[in-house]
Amino acid sequence: MIRVESDSQLVARAQVGNQDAFAELVRRHSDRVFRLALSILGREFAAEAEEVAQEVFLKVHHALASFRGEAEVSSWIYRITFNQAVNLKARARYRRPHLDDTALSQVETAEPGPHSLLETAQRDQSLSECIATLPEVYQSALGLYYWMGASVAEVAALLDVPENTAKSYLHRARQLLDGMLKQRGYSYV
Amino acid sequence: MSEMDPREAEIDSLLRRSMAAPVPRLSPDFHQALSREVRRRSQPLNPFSRSLLTGYGVVSAAISMVVMRGQGLGWVAIALTTLGPLFTLELARRLRRRQWVMAPK
Repeated sequence: MIRVESDSQLVARAQVGNQDAFAELVRRHSDRVFRLALSILGREFAAEAEEVAQEVFLKVHHALASFRGEAEVSSWIYRITFNQAVNLKARARYRRPHLDDTALSQVETAEPGPHSLLETAQRDQSLSECIATLPEVYQSALGLYYWMGASVAEVAALLDVPENTAKSYLHRARQLLDGMLKQRGYSYV
Repeated sequence: MSEMDPREAEIDSLLRRSMAAPVPRLSPDFHQALSREVRRRSQPLNPFSRSLLTGYGVVSAAISMVVMRGQGLGWVAIALTTLGPLFTLELARRLRRRQWVMAPK
């Protein structure tokens, strides 16, 4: 029977210098760390999200000796990730590639008709702009849930909040987006 | 998500349509690159770098002390102004470590 070590056991072994234990910890969390970073930075910044993931694990490795288990290992790692990604975003003043009206009018004219396609592109662009004005935690929740297909439970785990809080993040984000899109005159039925 | 009102359901559906896109994956060599970087950062300073750094610290402290003494400061004040920042640095380092342990949001 294969015995699966808990994160805490891995950390305990890594703390005494076992590199295999640290590597297992990385294998276990790297995808989620990357996805969390990506949900904050945005879909155009995969390379930066990978840099964040690397920096997070380097910080974890550096801080292993002082980790005493007051928090869950996963919560600890995801909090470092969240802070790291938000800091990077703020520092670099990330700006999503902006499509102006000229660019949007040059959208390929294919099915289902140029006008409809242009409207969809403009509405999606507007939606992206509205999302970018939401608080980071809402943006991240939306990205994880709608883009990456994470369940509410996964969103909650990654953002280190109870499931009900994750649900309310999504609910509030939808409400805010609804209001913003209405202000911009979009209907989305 | 079953308790959505019609408007919220509409924006839910819009978000699903609009945000649908392939999700990038970590590059295959991520773990190797990370291992290399961990090894690199874990390596202690080589003897030459360590001597250089220590020498720099000692010379700086000595020059500061001579200059401060030349300005008429007492040895107690000189010791405080020289060692104070070192203690502050160490304190800040320990506090930062404590913060990591608490993993604040």
